[in-house]
Amino acid sequence: MTALRNLWRIPTARFALVVLAGIAFLTVFGGALAPHDPLKQYTDHVLEGPSATHWLGTDYVGRDVLSRLMSGTRLSVVGAAEAVIIGAALGVPSGLASAWLGPRLEWLTLRISDTLVILPFTVFAIAVAGTLGNGLQQAMFAIGVLISPIFFRVTRSVAMGMRRQQYVEAAELMGATEWWTLRTHIWSKVLPNVAVTFAQATGAALLVVASLSFLGLGVSPPAPTWGGMLASDLDYLAQQPWAPVFPGLLMMAAVGSLNLLADAVREATGDARRRRRSTPRTASPAQSRHEAQRQTKETARA
Amino acid sequence: MTRASSPILTPSRRGFLGLSLAAGLVLGLEACGGTSTVGGSSSAGGTGTIKWAWQLPTTWDPVTSSAGSDVQMLALTYDAITALDDQGNATPWLAEKWTYDDSGKVVTFTLRPDLKFSDGSPLDATAVAKSIERGRTQDGSLIAPQMATIKSVKADGDLDVVVELTEVDYQYPLLFAGKTGMVVNPAVFEKDADSLATQPAGSGPFTLTSYVQNDHATLKKNPNFSAADEIKVENFELYPQPDPSTAVAAARSGQFNLVRLGGAQLQQAKDAGLDVQVINTMFVSVLDVNVTMAPFDEPAVVEAMKYAIDREKLKEVAAFGVGDVSYQPFPPGYVGYNPELASIYAYDPDKSRQVLADAGLKTPIKAVFTSSGQSDAAVELTQAQLKEVGIEATIDSIPATQHTQLVYLEHSKALAYDGFAGRESPVQAFQVLFGAEGLMNPGRTTNPELDAQLEKVKRTPTDDPTYPALLQEATKIAVTSFPNTFLTLVPAVIARKGVSGLPTRPSLRRFEGVTA
Repeated sequence: MTALRNLWRIPTARFALVVLAGIAFLTVFGGALAPHDPLKQYTDHVLEGPSATHWLGTDYVGRDVLSRLMSGTRLSVVGAAEAVIIGAALGVPSGLASAWLGPRLEWLTLRISDTLVILPFTVFAIAVAGTLGNGLQQAMFAIGVLISPIFFRVTRSVAMGMRRQQYVEAAELMGATEWWTLRTHIWSKVLPNVAVTFAQATGAALLVVASLSFLGLGVSPPAPTWGGMLASDLDYLAQQPWAPVFPGLLMMAAVGSLNLLADAVREATGDARRRRRSTPRTASPAQSRHEAQRQTKETARA
Repeated sequence: MTRASSPILTPSRRGFLGLSLAAGLVLGLEACGGTSTVGGSSSAGGTGTIKWAWQLPTTWDPVTSSAGSDVQMLALTYDAITALDDQGNATPWLAEKWTYDDSGKVVTFTLRPDLKFSDGSPLDATAVAKSIERGRTQDGSLIAPQMATIKSVKADGDLDVVVELTEVDYQYPLLFAGKTGMVVNPAVFEKDADSLATQPAGSGPFTLTSYVQNDHATLKKNPNFSAADEIKVENFELYPQPDPSTAVAAARSGQFNLVRLGGAQLQQAKDAGLDVQVINTMFVSVLDVNVTMAPFDEPAVVEAMKYAIDREKLKEVAAFGVGDVSYQPFPPGYVGYNPELASIYAYDPDKSRQVLADAGLKTPIKAVFTSSGQSDAAVELTQAQLKEVGIEATIDSIPATQHTQLVYLEHSKALAYDGFAGRESPVQAFQVLFGAEGLMNPGRTTNPELDAQLEKVKRTPTDDPTYPALLQEATKIAVTSFPNTFLTLVPAVIARKGVSGLPTRPSLRRFEGVTA
């Protein structure tokens, strides 16, 4: 709760949370609240501009753009979330295990992680969709696997730092089990870093989902998605040069807010004062966390 | 400079931000704008170079070309033995005349005198006979099946090519107007046939000077072309079709001066000051139906589908009014076009529902509708129209590069949106669409009645008065008994900048007399 209170004190965090709450609302209720059936074709009103009936106009077969944006939020966001959850589910436990369960497992997980890092997101997703079939689940599984090294590295980095702390060693000497030490001393330090990574990876995944649906992969038409709408709008720029702005703005707001939130989480969970007071020669837990969070940012940006 | 003048020249941070936003807005609106005040008239030409953004061929060898549309690009570097007129009749090209003997099994093509390949070597009857022989016998030849009824080919003197057939077939003059009749220099294919994939060796109006696969081809005028005087440009550049969102801008900027457009860009091109030409073609959009796969293994579903599609709406919405509706594989004016079929499956959703009800079928009927991105709007409109009558089709998007493999070779798709580019010989078109081995007949359905009718067509000289009626009857049999669902005729929409008008032949884009 303290971390949440700290987060809310940061203006950019408040802004990001409000925007993300709006997008979450659309994700859950967008389809139900849409003024029109997002698949209904008003073929006598094709490519019309905004009007009282269609607030954001109609698309190339006369469908209501606002309704498609609202309904399309769910597929876009759920797809991204699915990929990130898969990434976290694969990356966090393996990161902890890598730091805790011996050199053989460490070597193996590092090699797998290194291999996955060199694979390009979109191309790999296209290859998986081509192999397993063109579906959202297949594409998101591929993205999730490729995101997992980010979680792996961040988790491992923090866990390694914690492992060398005197109070952890003391707990182990006093007979604490590895499981108890992980739960009590490590997980609480890893979690904020995972949260930062989660926010940033979700932003990246949103863009990948949009890119894939832009390329015609993942979601089959006529189901609306932000990327799919953007792609089809580009074919009709002569008639509606402003049309790509709407899905583009939603994407920008979602990804930008997630990045702002990630920064704010890092700021809220890091203890700046202690970092400033501590001497460079002592490696405090806060320093380890800060270093891990810095790595989180760098890894996610890479 | 005095200090007093500095504030005027140095805007504040907020002012600078405002100026930046204003400049960005102006640039953005300019980039997005569909209309232009900048002239792009044809009078600005005179470069002597045609830059044609159309497509690149799958190969520069007509024998191994795997796309029907390749004929457009191959015709830049190769000459065919005959040509087609606007009605689809064979006319002289390399051959100035042809005659069948009384049995109808021997046809002699007489070449024009003094023909030359682009390298200057003579294009005589021996070369033509060798070229035909290679096409029908070479391993991997994709035109060999069309010449299955050729028994032998030989030269008779310098100008006569004698083709002996195993059965009566008056379609060869038509067949030789396309890739099948394109003459390849024997001196090249006898030495290194593989080189033809990237280095064409023909006698057409241009010769290839450089070729970067999937990127561009550069050609120059062939002085040995038989009608070289009619070629008014010195250079020709060939590019793939640009993205619809950039096609008009590419033409305006001069990147290309001849660009293929979609219907959605037609008005934009006119507004931009480009010359726009709409040329009727043989291309017709069609639904390929595999009747061995559910639910189309039930004839009532196929019949209901034909009545359920509002082709007028497809034309209006998906093609922006360009083209026309079609219920048959040939356009009006073509000899095989049957006027009786002009509205045979006119939009009638009530009848469609009735057909399903009479067959005792329960709706919704589930189906999978494969799209390779040829026209998203047409596919989505068709899907919605089918749903109206109770056929719920899920769209399955596949890459365009997999279409031939999945739909035509593996026959693994029940329903697919596609287009038929036409063929030089109508019998050849029937074989492709409705033949037992027809590429666009995924269900491999056959109809003995159609086969018998086509035999009559083949045995009838194309200038015989009964020929049109026989062919049109074959069209009627095919359209009413096969599942292929024809939708709309698709003209070529071409934007020109500084290039004179193109000849309006429906089968082939030609450049004789075209200036740039």
